[in-house]
Amino acid sequence: MEFGNSGSLREDGIHLDMDRLKKGEVNLGTSIMAVTFKDGVILGADSRTTTGAYIANRVTDKLTQVHDTIWCCRSGSAADTQAVADIVKYQLELFAMRNGKPPTTQTAGAIFQEICYDNKDRLSAGLIIAGWDERHGGQVYSIPLGGSLHKQPYSIGGSGSTYIYGYCDANWREGMEEADAVDFVKGALKEAIKWDGSSGGVIRMVVLTAEGADRHLYLPDTDYKVRHV
Amino acid sequence: MTSIGTGYDLANSIFSPDGRNFQVEYAVKAVENGGTSIGIRCKDGVVLAVEKIVTSKLLKQSANKRIATVDRHLGVAFSGMIPDGRHFIDRARDEARAWRDTFKTPISTADLASRMGGYMQAYTLYQSVRPFGITAIVGGFDSTEAAPVDGEVGSGPSCGAGGKVLGKTHGGPFLYMIEPSGLYWGYYGAATGKGRQSAKAELEKLDLGGPAGPALTLEEAVKEAARIIYVAHDDSKDKEFELEMTWISGADGPTKGLHQEVPKALREEAERLAKKSLEDDEEEEPKEEKMEE
Amino acid sequence: MPGFDFSNYNRNAALHARGVPLPKATSTGTTIVGCIYDGGVVIAADTRATSGPIVADKNCEKLHYIAPNIWCAGAGTAADTEFTTALISSQLELHSLSTGRKPRVVTCMTMLKQHLFRYQGHIGAYLVVAGVDPTGTHLFTVHAHGSTDKLPYVTMGSGSLAAMSVFETQWKPSLTRDEAVKLCADAIESGIWNDLGSGSNVDVAIITPDKTTLRRNYIKPNERTQKLKSYAFDKGTTAVLNEKIISKADLGNFVSVHELTEESGDKMEVDT
Repeated sequence: MEFGNSGSLREDGIHLDMDRLKKGEVNLGTSIMAVTFKDGVILGADSRTTTGAYIANRVTDKLTQVHDTIWCCRSGSAADTQAVADIVKYQLELFAMRNGKPPTTQTAGAIFQEICYDNKDRLSAGLIIAGWDERHGGQVYSIPLGGSLHKQPYSIGGSGSTYIYGYCDANWREGMEEADAVDFVKGALKEAIKWDGSSGGVIRMVVLTAEGADRHLYLPDTDYKVRHV
Repeated sequence: MTSIGTGYDLANSIFSPDGRNFQVEYAVKAVENGGTSIGIRCKDGVVLAVEKIVTSKLLKQSANKRIATVDRHLGVAFSGMIPDGRHFIDRARDEARAWRDTFKTPISTADLASRMGGYMQAYTLYQSVRPFGITAIVGGFDSTEAAPVDGEVGSGPSCGAGGKVLGKTHGGPFLYMIEPSGLYWGYYGAATGKGRQSAKAELEKLDLGGPAGPALTLEEAVKEAARIIYVAHDDSKDKEFELEMTWISGADGPTKGLHQEVPKALREEAERLAKKSLEDDEEEEPKEEKMEE
Repeated sequence: MPGFDFSNYNRNAALHARGVPLPKATSTGTTIVGCIYDGGVVIAADTRATSGPIVADKNCEKLHYIAPNIWCAGAGTAADTEFTTALISSQLELHSLSTGRKPRVVTCMTMLKQHLFRYQGHIGAYLVVAGVDPTGTHLFTVHAHGSTDKLPYVTMGSGSLAAMSVFETQWKPSLTRDEAVKLCADAIESGIWNDLGSGSNVDVAIITPDKTTLRRNYIKPNERTQKLKSYAFDKGTTAVLNEKIISKADLGNFVSVHELTEESGDKMEVDT
């Protein structure tokens, strides 16, 4: 394994590498968020994937479906988060088949958390799980690096999120209408993209309600004003 | 017993030519000799009750329980061989724990019944084992609220979670009975053991089913359960018995969603009413002269 | 003490922490690309293999067979791309035989990513996976750590930046087959000329629902031409300054000589 350039030497000569990512690993330098609103929940993300200074993918889809109305936003290592999401997707499909009913967002969150916590020294994955079910409505769970699980009314994550804590704190309201929630997510991600060098490209969203999952796409060409698809 | 001597009753995993598993049928006999157990699913909870035959005056009163708590919201009563029942309860607790470990949420009554039904059935398949000599009654109250995730940090926000489907209810009281064959059904009221026939007759008189759901309240059900156990008790064969009774309500009820023993005062009141009811019956219906030939 | 000795690992880590650079792992500079068009997919690669600063092979093959309808372009460690694609190709054929269905590109991509993820980047295979299956035309990239991307045009390897600049300026939606081949070949050429790790020729594979066409050395922009002059030196160009002849008898003064006798070894017998 190749080491990064940072690190410190312990007394016993063991090298501690402070870098979470291995050298050359594909990184989701990212802005992601999920927000509950009146009828459900909205997930949002930018689309930039980087390897070092190079943009490996400028139209990445960081919003990943793990069940009909349970999705997740991925940040951190692309390989790690894809692998974790694939495992959870399998587990939830198995749950639905065995129990004859769809899994709840809690169950999805719990499975994600178990994997992230058990493998915390091997993974660099910052995830936001969002889902809708008819019993609990829209819900948002955040799983940061150590593998803890936090239920939140809305959650932001990735390198770009540091720039929008103020924006979100000032503008988020409980029980927003769908259109207002879409505008809130878009406004926040626009700021994150503007200030964070590792975030950029298009804005993707997924709206989860009783109607199912609805995808949104906004391009920088039109200053993210026009909805495509 | 027509099966005796045919050789088809010697082991599990051998069918008789007419498609019966005699070992399972013998297990049912073991159940039919056990003290009566009943369960009532009512409007706002579940009541479990057993007739515990006192086999010796040297046994401590109210010890050796036959109704066990399997998870916070789940109780199991059984009739038949007590050691088999104890093992069944151990396994049920393991299943409930395993479910919580995997899904970080309590197991539903239906899922526990399904798991335990599967477990009982497995003991009808192999030469090396015998079926369980019990019939178990599983009662539970599945939370009607949003269930919190085990291991979640804090209790989460009070807001958010928009878009619930209004008017749709979830969870509630559930009752299942599992037989030695592994067969299980959901019931409005369930009875097994020695006095099951008369107990069932009494249960059928209660308002437990119907399209609007059961009308019986938990408090009424406790009194009915006590009465039914007294009715089902056969004075001529067994001299003494103890009434053991537990109940489960929703979060807004007296047990706050937990499976608990019925408080002593309420149980004694129920027993007093039960005895009174029996006496009244005897007065109302003077013993009919037995027809003799 | 039985077992493995890991003391060198700690030594290396200690040296590294003090600023000593680790030895360079052999990594082949490469340009590989892929592009979907209306009716199929094209992948292409250069043909230079390097070992440090040395060009190890001027005309190697970087387009790997997975299945008749699925091909892979490989960058990174040459041995890893070769063996990983061979392994997955084998597993995919067995899978195809047992299911009785044609192999799918997503299946191939998933097997590759799970294999590479298991090895946490130690298998240095960077791949472009392309193919046509009953579900349609597909193009993916798979990185050594196990991450994947799905895009209409992709580039990988040290020449990927040069190649991507071609795609980003010339790509358009709905290309014809010839346009797609030209675009891929141009992208590879851009890598050949502008990336030190890439060079020599352009290999192209065109995959359609009906068949796969492999165009080995589709373009040879680095053909060796006749030298204008002959650089062979005449005999006697180098002057002889002195000369000394040693006879066989005197040879023993300089080296030890053993005469082989009849008994010294078994004679080889030949059946007649």
